[in-house]
Amino acid sequence: MSVYSLYIFDRHTECIYTKRWTDRHALPAIRSTAGGALSNGSSSTANDIPAATRRAMKHSDDAKLIFGTIFSLRRMVRQLGGTDDQFLSYRTGEYKLHYFETPTQLKLIMLTDLHVGNMRTVLYQIWATLYVEYVVKSPLAPTEHASGVGVANELFEGGLERFIVSTM
Amino acid sequence: MHYFTITRSVVFALLIINKAGGLIFNRTFAPGLQKLDSNDYLILAGTFHGIHAISRSINPAPPEPQTQPPATHPRRPITTGIESLESSHFRLTCYQTATGVKFLLFTSPEQPNTEVVVRRCYEIFGDFVMKNPFYNLEMPVRVEKFERALAGYLVRP
Repeated sequence: MSVYSLYIFDRHTECIYTKRWTDRHALPAIRSTAGGALSNGSSSTANDIPAATRRAMKHSDDAKLIFGTIFSLRRMVRQLGGTDDQFLSYRTGEYKLHYFETPTQLKLIMLTDLHVGNMRTVLYQIWATLYVEYVVKSPLAPTEHASGVGVANELFEGGLERFIVSTM
Repeated sequence: MHYFTITRSVVFALLIINKAGGLIFNRTFAPGLQKLDSNDYLILAGTFHGIHAISRSINPAPPEPQTQPPATHPRRPITTGIESLESSHFRLTCYQTATGVKFLLFTSPEQPNTEVVVRRCYEIFGDFVMKNPFYNLEMPVRVEKFERALAGYLVRP
């Protein structure tokens, strides 16, 4: 029963917070070729982009893909179920995606494994007891978090870690 | 004065998408979803086809640890796309066959055994559409026996 990642998008469709508990773009540990062993590696072919930058690009690509997915799914659900219908979650063979949107169009998305149930109350609590308390009410945080400024402060991150550990 | 809404498990609609993302079958069996015209269903099918592919690539689950080093280079693990989607008014069950055809079943959220229902729809599809010698593959399904068998199975009398 584990949580893989959490994303927060604001009403300007920007990703203002990302937290990953597993790294699926982790580099393979050992790669042995016929000639010898390459450790921790970028590929042997000449590659201008260093591995760390490539990982960062893949992570930001993930956030964009996730936003695109939930935006389209939300629109589809509204089209089919009526304007008051809400997209709640979806499940694939490997993971579950849980979605919670606040009245201020802040979107919280959590990816977990298949063994969890309904995470809607968890997402609501993250928003109400952690985000509102430590980010919205923080006098140092701006009202608009362009590129995530002001969201990842110590209290919010620490509270989130403790909260997730206690629910797992 | 109280109004009771009796929620019952019901199948709203079935959509079949071919492996290119085009809608080949669309039928509503019970009211409950918004009325969309055929163009909207085509767009929806194409959108879902794309979302299904993206949902495979954003898989966050860490790859299984491999017991022996791979022969040539690490193979990417086989991932699946969206199998089930929940909203407050309906549930969507998606079954992708080995040939890339997707069956989308829209039911009420209380409907149990949606996997069984969608597999049965796939069996009916195999019996009446695939085995029909006049059916052109990947084209819209216009087979009367298929529609009758499906209605017999999905519509509650």
